[in-house]
Amino acid sequence: MVWHVSMRYFLAHKRQSLVCIAGVTISVTMYVAMSALMAGFSDKFIIETVESSGHISIGDEPRESRTPILEQAFPDPDALRALVGSKPRDQVKKIKNPDGVLGKLRRLPGVIAAAPEVTGQAIVSYGTKEMSLSIIGVEPEAQTRVTTIGQNIIEGDFSRLRATADGLVIGRGVSLVLGARLDDVVTLVSPNGGRTTARVIGVFETGVTPVDYSRAYMLINNAQTLLDRKNVINRITIRTDDYNKAEEYARQIESIVGYKTESWQESNSNFLKIFRVQEVITTVITGSLLVVAAFGVLNILIMAVLERINDIAILRSFGLSRLDITRIYLIQGLVIGLVGAVGGLACGKALVEGLRRLPIPVEGLVKTEGLLMSEHPHHYYMAFISAMVVVALAAMYPARRAAGYDPVEVIRGAH
Amino acid sequence: MAPTDRPTPTAGAPLLMARNLHRLLGEAELATHILKGVNLAIGRREYVSIVGASGSGKSTLLYLLGGLDRPSREDADGVPFEPPSAVFIDGRDTYDLGDAELALLRNEKCGFVFQFHYLLKEFTAQENVALPMLKLGRLSRSEAMDRAASLLGQLGLESKLRRRANRLSGGEQQRVAIARAMANQPAVLLADEPTGNLDKANGERVADLLDQIAAAGQTIVMVTHDAHLAQRAERMITMEDGLIVEDRRLRQSAMAAAGPSA
Repeated sequence: MVWHVSMRYFLAHKRQSLVCIAGVTISVTMYVAMSALMAGFSDKFIIETVESSGHISIGDEPRESRTPILEQAFPDPDALRALVGSKPRDQVKKIKNPDGVLGKLRRLPGVIAAAPEVTGQAIVSYGTKEMSLSIIGVEPEAQTRVTTIGQNIIEGDFSRLRATADGLVIGRGVSLVLGARLDDVVTLVSPNGGRTTARVIGVFETGVTPVDYSRAYMLINNAQTLLDRKNVINRITIRTDDYNKAEEYARQIESIVGYKTESWQESNSNFLKIFRVQEVITTVITGSLLVVAAFGVLNILIMAVLERINDIAILRSFGLSRLDITRIYLIQGLVIGLVGAVGGLACGKALVEGLRRLPIPVEGLVKTEGLLMSEHPHHYYMAFISAMVVVALAAMYPARRAAGYDPVEVIRGAH
Repeated sequence: MAPTDRPTPTAGAPLLMARNLHRLLGEAELATHILKGVNLAIGRREYVSIVGASGSGKSTLLYLLGGLDRPSREDADGVPFEPPSAVFIDGRDTYDLGDAELALLRNEKCGFVFQFHYLLKEFTAQENVALPMLKLGRLSRSEAMDRAASLLGQLGLESKLRRRANRLSGGEQQRVAIARAMANQPAVLLADEPTGNLDKANGERVADLLDQIAAAGQTIVMVTHDAHLAQRAERMITMEDGLIVEDRRLRQSAMAAAGPSA
């Protein structure tokens, strides 16, 4: 009976109800579409970063710097300690016994593959163009097991690194900046003065701009020579069975190997923070739309209550309780929310599909040929639940106000 | 006649009873003492009219007797009335009931008719009458609609069943309101100036209708300014300044006259 009365009142104000529904629909649509858009870019960045750089990387030093011997001997913070004539030790940072570490890692549960690397900075020049590069010395077979770099090759072949004595695989961005193409010979100079020439045998494109514009791969022996780090392994890259568990695995591995071990989340924490901020901004903007829609619902229901004060009194007189009256108006709000939210989900889905088809090339943090739309079920759940909750809250005030009218006062004409 | 200060004796347990009934409206110094200790008992099948000047408290008494309002238990200074101010509907103290319980009691036991009709304009005449039955939930929707049609038919409105309430004449609306008040076969029909907003012909028709309903054994309590209408009841209560000043039996109840077998 309450439902019957509620629906009859709802249908009595079709036009106003439709406006309210449209408000909810628009806000839900925007939430779904903007969330998909934001997630599209962040997912692309995360996946490409994870796939091209590995899930976990082990560095060549412990997370905490070692306490100096003098400080160990005299730990009192107020103690006066002085070393006279000391000379910094010329220590090469490296992972000790890399083969042993790799063997241990490969036996760990959750670890799919591990690859040794030597990394360092170098200046690459081609003709008059030069730029700074991150050189990664790799064993090609091991590297293709921990990253997808072999599949990201757009020109040449990654496996040729093994067969070509001076082979170099560069990012597409590096290729563009230098103007160097396949089989061109570039010059590499390391900060230690090491100098060599290398032939471009491959160009890769991950779609992640910072990677494509800064990275080059060469055979591990060549890199050790260039960087003056003979027989040195200063990084081990690991692929796990689930990149979402990388943080957990990294903690375990660090406790085993003793070197600072970073998950991809830790390595890219700055970017992840930016994505989180973007997510918050999206939520705030779409949430504001929803709040505006909720005010519409509030407004129309207050009007509906004021118009029907006499009805409320008569309904109370023949046996409806305050709770029944609350339900009558709450149901109207919830129907507006339900129809608006379902419509919004459908429109949101349509908008996502439409935007996905738009050929808009984007080159920023990631490079794509169109807008990246990534749909997650939780976007739809969140949009629906938020719309229902906000609209229900908006409907609660008029519903309670309606229930609060004293039928006797209404009949006496006090309202 | 001196003001009555004790319940009027009626045969058997009274259907409605007011005991030292007080009602204050407003709070503290601004409170207005509307009812000042009314004692009253109304038996089953009685046809009672309540008359009095405007502001005498007759409508307030009616709403309290129908459970639409609750008695005040304390005076403006917070001093409790002794004995406690109370209304009993079929033996149940309305003050002690929760909102939902009181609403259910109204739904089952009371049928209200107001001066200004108060039909729900989005609903047809038939639906207006069916609503209290749907709320009570003892009949299915189709049964409730059938009974509503039957009630309206008895009141000469069989051709107006599907007409929206706001497209009925004033007299028709009041008859629909009476049918709605009778929908759940209430213990008491409470009418507040039922002819007050009608022309003479329609007023007369509604008055005749109330007579017929009373003659059929329905308890009716009616508040009216209309002396002629008030005289049609079997018992007339006169109020003045929040008190009953006269409680007069005009004639024996038709049902009582017919004896217990009736």
